[in-house]
Amino acid sequence: MPRTTISVDHVARVEGHGNVHVVIEDGVVKDVKMEIVEPARMFESMVKGRSYKEASYISSRICGICSASHVITDLKAVEQAFGIEVSQRTSMVRELLVYGSYLQNHAAHLFVFATPDFINEASIFPLAKSNPDLFAKALELKGLGNRLCTAVGGRSIHPITAVAGGFTHEIDAAEYLAFADEMEAMVPFAQDVVDLFAGFRICDFQTQGDMLALVQPDYYPVQSSDTLRFFGDGVEDFATADAFDHISEYQVDHSGAFFAKRASNGKPYMTAALARINASWDHLGKTAKIASAKAGLRPPALNPMLNNVAQAVELVDALERCARICRELAKGEGSCVPAPVCPKAGVGVGVTEAPRGVVVHKLQFDDRGYVVKASITTPTAQNLANLECDIRLLAGMLAESGTSERIIRAEVEKLIRAYDPCISCSVH
Amino acid sequence: MRSYECNRAANSSEVECLPTPRVVVIGLASCFGCQLQTTNMEQHLMDVVGQFELVYWQLASSEPMPQEYDVAVIEGAVTTLESMETVRQLRQKAKTVITIGACANTAGIPGIAAAGFNGHSSEVYSQGVPNACGQVIAPRSVESVIQVDYQVPCCPIDFYDFSAVLSRALYGSNRTVPNRTMCGDCKRNETQCFFEKGELCLGLVTKGGCGARCPKLGRPCFGCAGLSKDANLDAARDSVARYGIEVAEFESRLQLFNQTNEALCEGAKGEYHA
Repeated sequence: MPRTTISVDHVARVEGHGNVHVVIEDGVVKDVKMEIVEPARMFESMVKGRSYKEASYISSRICGICSASHVITDLKAVEQAFGIEVSQRTSMVRELLVYGSYLQNHAAHLFVFATPDFINEASIFPLAKSNPDLFAKALELKGLGNRLCTAVGGRSIHPITAVAGGFTHEIDAAEYLAFADEMEAMVPFAQDVVDLFAGFRICDFQTQGDMLALVQPDYYPVQSSDTLRFFGDGVEDFATADAFDHISEYQVDHSGAFFAKRASNGKPYMTAALARINASWDHLGKTAKIASAKAGLRPPALNPMLNNVAQAVELVDALERCARICRELAKGEGSCVPAPVCPKAGVGVGVTEAPRGVVVHKLQFDDRGYVVKASITTPTAQNLANLECDIRLLAGMLAESGTSERIIRAEVEKLIRAYDPCISCSVH
Repeated sequence: MRSYECNRAANSSEVECLPTPRVVVIGLASCFGCQLQTTNMEQHLMDVVGQFELVYWQLASSEPMPQEYDVAVIEGAVTTLESMETVRQLRQKAKTVITIGACANTAGIPGIAAAGFNGHSSEVYSQGVPNACGQVIAPRSVESVIQVDYQVPCCPIDFYDFSAVLSRALYGSNRTVPNRTMCGDCKRNETQCFFEKGELCLGLVTKGGCGARCPKLGRPCFGCAGLSKDANLDAARDSVARYGIEVAEFESRLQLFNQTNEALCEGAKGEYHA
């Protein structure tokens, strides 16, 4: 094959603006660039000089789909800096809010963004005619996530009720129980979604990068852990408070987002549903674990294309987990009334698992509770370096076997979407 | 106003023969949340989408941008010379332009960076703003660049507001857009005033119409609908001081969604580099 350049300007069905260029010469990949051309919004400098009361409100706007995760992450940073302990109930309601965004995100990504790749359509809309039952059920699942976020957070995105120390409003026991019933009723469909995605043909290859996820003894953590784990080329556990000592961010000219690598070995890494399932497989609920095993997804699962299946498995897990949390909250024990906030000078680091992976907010405050310095990294920003390596690997493998340019291009786009990138989020 | 309804009125005898309006959806600097909100009322989604032909929506479809269309829906603030050119082209081609969400309407949260813009960009990008970001300029609203026919307010937009504006644009409506401030909504909802609790709330200067959603849930208004044309800022400053809240806090809070609004005094706006 002579020299060819595969270029996709404005990759569709992802959040934000990204282009990809792959240069192939005589069957060998010479260059890969994932250009992140999203407008810069400068959040880290915008929150500077603002009160802790405004910080989470502003940083929620980093991302429409994982706004709940950005808010909770920011609040955890505020609470760590001021030494505030939240109640067990507050922690549970937060988990519900984060999982609400998992349901929204995974359902939207799997159906609206990823499915058209596998049914050879440009969008999901033809499915409304060709498979109306699947289309309706997929919307219903996404809708359930929206309604959960609305009930807990006050609206489907950019939650209103979550503040430092607790929640300003909570739904009543009957509403919690109604949600629990709905969640349980949705589990069989989520199991079907796992089967559906397990049935789609994907290229067989493995990422060479490492992985990063929150870990917790005996639990599948999304917001309740203070320990992060790098794994792949050696396991490395560290406190979330030290996240930026272990994650090394760097600037590249073809991206508005900072790229990231593991500081200790300089390797790129992936953080996503797939990393979580690899890290916390043992703590998946029974139904989710069986669905995952049946789909052939069990650690070590290193094909990044399997992130779609991993998200589907998390749908099953999230539904069962949320139902359990709702039933627990319906008992009415404890309180979410915001704990008193006494600002003081200091630094706090919040870390949670957003639907797309680990998100870190580090905030430094003065003694009045105003932000002096902020550092934020999102899952997609951390994934970009690894995504470029994976594109190189995949395109090289296909080019070597003489695959047509059209198919290489389609597979590269599929891979990008499997990472579920949130490009608008990555350029914060 | 170059709206689709004018076109329709001119051909009222042949309403049924009118072509389905072709809609494009474009995202500028934003969190994409308002585009998501347009899909977040699942049971009505296909009814709404069935009213028009969605010819370009990068978030949901890989179909390329067409040459011709009737309605442009724009989300996000204008933050680069390139996006300035994009919105000008949209205005030239579309009969109707609708902006959705605070970023597009008032420059919104990205607009905070408009004050002392160069300082913000050099702080985030210590090695200079990457080429990939384009030619960055101080954030501004879409309306400050082109004429806008309809706006869907708030951060994020409400799906029902969006469908109401769409139907207004497609079929016309004699409903007036309210200018009132939000304060009255709380009185109607019988929500206790935040000022009585010694807490700052922007309801007294912010455009009403959202139903005072945040105060109803225990959170004061942060002003996402933008300043009301009826807002009396000087009287509001007096009220703030009367309740023992620092006026500086009020000015600072106003910047969240109104940084580029001419009505803000110079002190509240900070320096604004074009």
